[in-house]
Amino acid sequence: MLILRTLAAGGEQHGFEIAEAIERRSASVLQIEEGSLYPALQRMLIKGWVAGEWGRTAGNRRARYYHATAAGRKHLERELAAYERVSLAIGRVLRPA
Amino acid sequence: MMTLGEVARRLRYLLWRDRYTAELEEEMRLHVELRAEQLRDTGTNPEVATYAARRRFGNPAHLQERSRDMWGMTWLEHAAADLRFAIRRLVHRPGFSLSALTVTALGIGATTAVFTAVDAAMLRPLPFLRPAELVTLTNVNIPFGEERDESDRTVGIDQVLKMPELFANAAAFAAGGLNLEDAEHPRRVNAGIVTATFFPTLGVMPERGRAFDVEEGRPNGPRAVILSDALWRSQFGGADVLGSTITLSGNRYRVVGVMPRGFGFPNGSDLWIPLSVPTTRETFRPFRGYLPSRVIARVAPSVSVDAASKRLLATWELAIGPREPGRRTNLDETVDEIRRVGAAVPLQQEIVGERRRGLLILMGATVLLLLIASANVANLLLSDGASRQREVALREVLGATRGRVVRQLLVESLVLALTGAVVGLVLAPAMLGTLRALMPGELAGTAPVHLDLRVLAFAIGLALVTGIAFGLWPAFGTSRVDPAQTIKSGGGGATASLGHARRLLIAGELALTVMLLVGAGLMLKSFRRLMAQDFGMNTAQVATLELTFANPVIAPASPPENRAAVRKQAMHVMLDRLTADPAVEAAGIVNDLPLRGGAGLGIFVTPDGMPPPKDAFARYLIASGGYFKALGIPILRGRTFTADDDDVGERVAIVSRTMATTFWPNVDAVGRTFHFGKDSTPYTVVGIVADVKDGDVAEEGRAQMYFALDERSPANIALVARGSLPPSELLSRLTNAVRFAAPRQAVFNARTMDDVVGNSVAPRRTNTLLISLFGVLALALSTFGVYAVVSYSVVRRRRELGIRSALGASRVDIVALVAREMAWVAGAGVGVGLVAAWALSRVVTSLLFDVTAHDAGTFALVPAALLVPALLATLVPTLRAVRASPTEVMRSE
Repeated sequence: MLILRTLAAGGEQHGFEIAEAIERRSASVLQIEEGSLYPALQRMLIKGWVAGEWGRTAGNRRARYYHATAAGRKHLERELAAYERVSLAIGRVLRPA
Repeated sequence: MMTLGEVARRLRYLLWRDRYTAELEEEMRLHVELRAEQLRDTGTNPEVATYAARRRFGNPAHLQERSRDMWGMTWLEHAAADLRFAIRRLVHRPGFSLSALTVTALGIGATTAVFTAVDAAMLRPLPFLRPAELVTLTNVNIPFGEERDESDRTVGIDQVLKMPELFANAAAFAAGGLNLEDAEHPRRVNAGIVTATFFPTLGVMPERGRAFDVEEGRPNGPRAVILSDALWRSQFGGADVLGSTITLSGNRYRVVGVMPRGFGFPNGSDLWIPLSVPTTRETFRPFRGYLPSRVIARVAPSVSVDAASKRLLATWELAIGPREPGRRTNLDETVDEIRRVGAAVPLQQEIVGERRRGLLILMGATVLLLLIASANVANLLLSDGASRQREVALREVLGATRGRVVRQLLVESLVLALTGAVVGLVLAPAMLGTLRALMPGELAGTAPVHLDLRVLAFAIGLALVTGIAFGLWPAFGTSRVDPAQTIKSGGGGATASLGHARRLLIAGELALTVMLLVGAGLMLKSFRRLMAQDFGMNTAQVATLELTFANPVIAPASPPENRAAVRKQAMHVMLDRLTADPAVEAAGIVNDLPLRGGAGLGIFVTPDGMPPPKDAFARYLIASGGYFKALGIPILRGRTFTADDDDVGERVAIVSRTMATTFWPNVDAVGRTFHFGKDSTPYTVVGIVADVKDGDVAEEGRAQMYFALDERSPANIALVARGSLPPSELLSRLTNAVRFAAPRQAVFNARTMDDVVGNSVAPRRTNTLLISLFGVLALALSTFGVYAVVSYSVVRRRRELGIRSALGASRVDIVALVAREMAWVAGAGVGVGLVAAWALSRVVTSLLFDVTAHDAGTFALVPAALLVPALLATLVPTLRAVRASPTEVMRSE
């Protein structure tokens, strides 16, 4: 979901950029093993939520640039809606009476 | 749910797998490089930067594996790789593979073979139309004679045929033997004697021609015969025989039909002749005057077997009317039996009858054996796993997940199990011949015991189940390693839990073995007692053959009273020829050979001048004077028959000891007289002979009486000769004697008397033999299991034992240490096994003879028989281990 959110907001990015973006957004709270990004990307490729094209980086190196597909955006919306419902519910339960 | 696009993407991946893998690798490499660059830019030392980037990224091999797993087709590639790897490993360790394979093949082969018999007898539906609708009707009879006796209140097949609301059809059948005479070589054939409704009831009709018609089913109707496909092909070359006539035991029959291939019900019939309703004396004349018959029916489509049975029982109770209190008649007994077994019993269940228990017990024994075999293989895999911990640890470090390792180990055990199943399937047919003895005779030719697709599926299913069962536990145990620990310690540090599992397996194996051995012990003891009984005869060096005199052959067109004279003449020629032969010690003739099967004929006898005993029936036998010597039946008092004992002089008889003591208690029976039947002629007892086992070897002695051959010249006889010639020689003397007296006479059942006895105990012997064999195999397997565990454990504890020995423990101390541990395990296993066997042995009671299910001797002997080999299996590897010098052991670590 984090990956999709990043891609939905910022157009085309390659793996390293996605990792950086996530880290920035979460203000380094979410420290994940960076490599686990790739199995997740592969999964989303299969599902058709993201698509990737090979391009060149600023340093003129070959990299795969990912972008969210229409199906991916739809999936993200659904996930976000579900997440909001849950977090709202948790918020209500935890709010002092 | 997978969308279509997703499937397409997965397929594309599968096709260009290498490209996708390379791309992923490139992406990941770039990521690490970019991170390292970034770190360098912030001023970190380049080397440290590279290292930190890698650490942040994680294990690339592992991540690649996980990424590939995402594509989901990997299981296929993995399976192929696992299979290749498993086969390579098995081939590289022939010792391990061969022992595991042998054990698996034994277990699966035995189970498959026994399943084949159980399947044929009990599981596979009978090859008739809707066999579930077919029932046997208990005690329903076929009316005899033209008119029904007013006083007869039993239910007959004629009445059942008038109950269409309950039974759609009903039929009766019996099985006997006839001589097929006008063929090139006269031969004995199995005949089904069946009512005209027989084929319609079973729903199997002739392939050619027709079934019996109404006329042929009437008393004294036209004689018709239907041939089996096998007889038609072998005897008539498959020619057009419909309408032609054949001669069966002196009567001519018109061929009206040929049955489809494979139909031989009952008792592997070669042909079928009509059984009339009502039946006549003439029908059973070729069969010693009597054949047990059975009435079957097909329940009406909308009626359940249960409902039909209940309503038929109600008919019975109505038929016998109100009971007189305090008085029990035969009819009461009849109805009581019907209440006990049911008025209508499913045909298959009834036919399998008492064989069912024997087969099921054998199946149980095989399952025990299979469990023991599986435990053994599990044990082998465990010790193998322990020695592989280093390899497994290495693979986990290199990125293999635990599931992956388990799967790989499982593939190995499955390869073992399936190969074992294949070998087992090759071995199974060897056992099938033996197992045929356990099948009900009526199903001969109807439910053949052979390997087919069902059995194949069973064997493969069994292999999969056992492969997973005995592979899963060791696989989990092996994969649960701490890589750092294992690699550091050099593979010697097996965990304690593995030792636990193995001890449990061994104890379980020993417990199962005790159960099998107790079963085997009880069966063996009972069989030995059975055979050690006094059979009342000496069967060694005796050969016999049977024949039914074919009248037209030896005396064409002669009236019945002349026929008897002709038979008498022929029998004398046979006996004279045999006794003239110096190689023949003694020869005789009897009308019904002991233990040839069948209950024989019992006759109600009245002793003169004595109150009749409670059970006044005596077995009716006809013998020549030389018969007793030929069969080795001791003459206890008086004399045997002489040439004077014929149908002219005084009527004489010889009685068995049981008959003498029950009919003439406390007095000398010799010289006493008795009479029987409507005949008032008194018969004088001239001799007393030993009780001969005749119906079943497990039966108590019954009253038997012998009449002189010359007085009664029977049509069915057995010729018996004693001599020290080889059996085949003796048998050919017998055949020659018959041929000399009556050249075209068919003979059958030419065999030694030992074969006759062997045949009569075949089911018991087979059961005993197989269960004992399984017991011995179980003993061997569990001894091997103990040996393997102890060897493994002493090797594993080499260091510990070495230290102990260096610290001053003597060899005896060390052996005692190992032995004590094993003794606990063995003791627990044997104890549990004994308790279980004690609880379960009641199941085999019905198979036992003269031995109780809790036979103390067996229960005492079995633990000893098991513990001695177990002790040896413990001591041998332990002694070998302590012989090694401690310094050597310590240095090798």
